[in-house]
Amino acid sequence: MLLTDEQGLLLTQPIDTKIFVQGKAGSGKTTAGVHWLQKLLKAGVPPHQILVFTPQRTLAQPYLDCMHDEGAFAHSLITTMTLGGLARRMVDLFWPLISEEAGFAHPNQPPHFLTLESGQYYMAHVVRPLIENEGYFESLAIHRNRIYAQILDNLNKAAIVGFPYEEIGPRLKSAWIGGIEQFNIYDDVQRCADHFRQFCLAHNLLDFSLQVEVFLQRLWPLRLCREHLVQSYRHLIADNIEEDTPVTHDVLRDWLSEFESALLIADEEAGFRSFLGADVISAFSLGSACETRLWFKQNLVNETAIAQLKTGIQSVISQLQSRSEEEIESPTPALREALGLPGEHIKLFPSMVKWVTQNVAELIESGVPPAEIVLLAPYMPDVLRFALGDGLDALGIPHQSHRPSRALRDEPATQTLLSLASIAYPGWSMPAQPVNLALALMQAIEGLDLVRAQLLVNLVFEPGNDGILLKPFEAIPNAFKDRITYRVGERYDRLRQWLLEAAGAEGSQNLDFFLSRLFGEVLSQPGFGFHDDLERANTVSTLIESVQKFRWTVGQQLPGEDFNLGKEYLRMVQDGVIAAQYLRTWEERSPDAVFMAPAYTFLISNQPVDVQFWLDIGSPSWYQRLDQPLTHPYVLSRHWTTGDVWDADNELAAAHETLRRLSIGLLNRCRKKVYIGMSALDVRGYENRGLLIRIINEAWRRSLKEGA
Amino acid sequence: MILPNDFVFTQANLQNYVDCPYRFYLRYVLRTRWPALVVDQALDFEQRGQAGGRFHRLVQQYLMGVPAERIEALAEEDPWPELRTWWAGFMAHVPPWLVGQRWVEMSLTATLAGQRLLAKYDLLLVDEQGNLTLFDWKTSEKPLSKVRLLERIQTRLYRLVLLQASPMLLNHQQAAPEQISMHYWYATHPQTPISLIYSQVDYDRDREYLAHLVETVTNAEVEDFLRTADLGRCRFCVYRSHCERGVEAGSLEEFDRLELELDDPDQLIDFDDLPEIEF
Ligand code: SF4
Repeated sequence: MLLTDEQGLLLTQPIDTKIFVQGKAGSGKTTAGVHWLQKLLKAGVPPHQILVFTPQRTLAQPYLDCMHDEGAFAHSLITTMTLGGLARRMVDLFWPLISEEAGFAHPNQPPHFLTLESGQYYMAHVVRPLIENEGYFESLAIHRNRIYAQILDNLNKAAIVGFPYEEIGPRLKSAWIGGIEQFNIYDDVQRCADHFRQFCLAHNLLDFSLQVEVFLQRLWPLRLCREHLVQSYRHLIADNIEEDTPVTHDVLRDWLSEFESALLIADEEAGFRSFLGADVISAFSLGSACETRLWFKQNLVNETAIAQLKTGIQSVISQLQSRSEEEIESPTPALREALGLPGEHIKLFPSMVKWVTQNVAELIESGVPPAEIVLLAPYMPDVLRFALGDGLDALGIPHQSHRPSRALRDEPATQTLLSLASIAYPGWSMPAQPVNLALALMQAIEGLDLVRAQLLVNLVFEPGNDGILLKPFEAIPNAFKDRITYRVGERYDRLRQWLLEAAGAEGSQNLDFFLSRLFGEVLSQPGFGFHDDLERANTVSTLIESVQKFRWTVGQQLPGEDFNLGKEYLRMVQDGVIAAQYLRTWEERSPDAVFMAPAYTFLISNQPVDVQFWLDIGSPSWYQRLDQPLTHPYVLSRHWTTGDVWDADNELAAAHETLRRLSIGLLNRCRKKVYIGMSALDVRGYENRGLLIRIINEAWRRSLKEGA
Repeated sequence: MILPNDFVFTQANLQNYVDCPYRFYLRYVLRTRWPALVVDQALDFEQRGQAGGRFHRLVQQYLMGVPAERIEALAEEDPWPELRTWWAGFMAHVPPWLVGQRWVEMSLTATLAGQRLLAKYDLLLVDEQGNLTLFDWKTSEKPLSKVRLLERIQTRLYRLVLLQASPMLLNHQQAAPEQISMHYWYATHPQTPISLIYSQVDYDRDREYLAHLVETVTNAEVEDFLRTADLGRCRFCVYRSHCERGVEAGSLEEFDRLELELDDPDQLIDFDDLPEIEF
């Protein structure tokens, strides 16, 4: 592969140096990083001495791919790590040394690491009584799960920015200039965070924030841990550091002198994960800790027209941000070739979807591979995703979304198993609704359609009964037996009998084992709906793993007389606290499908394409912050000055900056053309008149002026 | 070849192939998860596996320099009573053998028949004479015989990979097979590890065997991944309903009697399995 001059220059650097590479997206930095890795290997550096550090595991994939190609002469593995992974590994390894000092109530028992799901569960466990019995968050009208998530988010922010969690409430309060009731809310936030932390310490639980804090405060300064890390890893490659957190940068800065070589790579005009704590300023400050600094200026992605569109948009936003004149460059008329605009005014949302799908079809017909087309919106709501999917299906165009359409709890396979469990355990007093039971039986029994499943449920289900909730098939009138068929009846009886016996069997008080047996001994047997269905088996596996992890972290911590783990799990599923995650998010894009995703997901995947569609561009979601009344990404960042207040000017400046990063970030990953999808009325029927559309209009106007 | 491009051969996947090619196909080619039970007494089975995982972690901590008293306190409070005995046995017998530079939980790779092999070692010791000693900690009740151990894929693969990777550990010097020894240490028989010496003959034989195995798997077409003829295996295989080879899982007693083994206990606390939290 031919290297650019800038990449070539990097590779001429000696390997015992610390190098900082910065440049725009699309300038070949990661490719250069991969070449640097090859250079280390060729120089005889053992792979196990190489640490590749990224803010997100998927970003290390190019380096892992390279190791596979270079495998013939490598005899060990490189390590890829994120801060979270590093913290978890070190806490687990050196736990006996710090458990007591860190304040855990059972220092001689192992730690329990919480997942996002179990963290949310425990937060609900701690906070729900405060809401219900003590009037916390009384004045707030948002879903409870959002309260739990935002308190966790605050704890995480404190950990990754590096301030004591006890300061969350005071920081938020000091920046607030609105009504007094918000002060009470912030006080409640702080008290909930305090309670949660105490609860974690009392039960050896470590949510993400505590993992990071324990690592930073107890382990990173510990000689044994530090020696282990320093001796294990002699060479560092840290990519996308602009998307990483301030404490990660602190650790890297501290660690840097210990490495024989280091290559730090930072993207300019990025920091898209700022709402997750990414800190561009602290990332670039690492440049001064390196001996050599290289700039990658050439964009290898953009064709001329897109480059001009970038110039145009940048010039308009710079003016909005009142930047100095020299930063404001006018675009040439070539800009217009980069924009695909509707020929006529589109009023309604469905017409916009139609316009998009038709253009996608034309592009494919003209030879653009489907995978070179992405459809982007700020959040990609389900209604838009479904509408686009249907439109593309109708045209026979393959497409892929960033995630499947349903959360785990909504998958039919999940609902089938949980409905059947609720039948097997009448003591839970949570019998399935008849309609859900009919759906479950339809899924479970081969040859049973919905109409006959409903009929069967009407005839056999007795939810009020003590004990057995289902009657046997023989108990129903003969005329109905004929209709339902004896073959289905025989299968139904097998399932019923199994449910009756299994609930009493040894070990079946553990819901995950019960579900495994239900799946293995009945549902996946011949004659039942899950036999030979590999896809559904995967869904059931995810469900069972979720129950299993719940048992491991919750079952051992909250045992009590009247505490039933299975019932609790089901209750939490119904409340949307757990099993709310999606089965998987797509880490690999399909090579032959049009990709639909939220703009940020596409940005962070770092894979440029020929054509982008920006949808719903009249929507303020392109630049407005999410409504999060219990937290604040800017006030809780490292660069917020205590005593300042967050006002409308800050909000506007933040919106401009978001828009600049987002639009330029997207254009840096686009080769040829951007289609602008908008309708006068949005999906909910509101008028669309956001800032982004005005900026694009203005850039277009300026390019006309230039051409005139 | 129908294997994924980035496929790496390990003792677990090769053992799966040897036990049942179709199981290998389901697990590693189709990546099908099939959530049935492996053995009937699922809780006992799980607790045994987790206790093994915790014991491995304690040993790892000790080898990394965590003071023994701190580890002992954890062993004392462990819910699995045998773990205390295992730990006492380890401390009574193993430390004197720990001579040389230590590599703990080290992964090494090698290439055979154009494919990558990976081995993860509990402990690897390199002494001043360039002798390479492997330790593998086992918490299963009954030790396997020396003959069975010599036949195991783990034994063959671990020694072969180590020999090929030895220049990386010995300052670019290639080790001779005789410099390698492998010890299976059973927590239930702490004073007498089963020690296997290595020779050129062993190496040549294992190399031929593994190369043939790897080539067979690599060149196999879908229809070549046949179901095992040994129905006993199906009783302890999660895919038994898919294959229509039984309903209930076999018992734990039978599992022990057949000297079957859990997958690597350390895999039970695999960090990469934990979902990444995005902050
Ligand atoms: S059930 Fe038997 S035949 Fe089927 S995959 Fe398992 S071991 Fe192989």
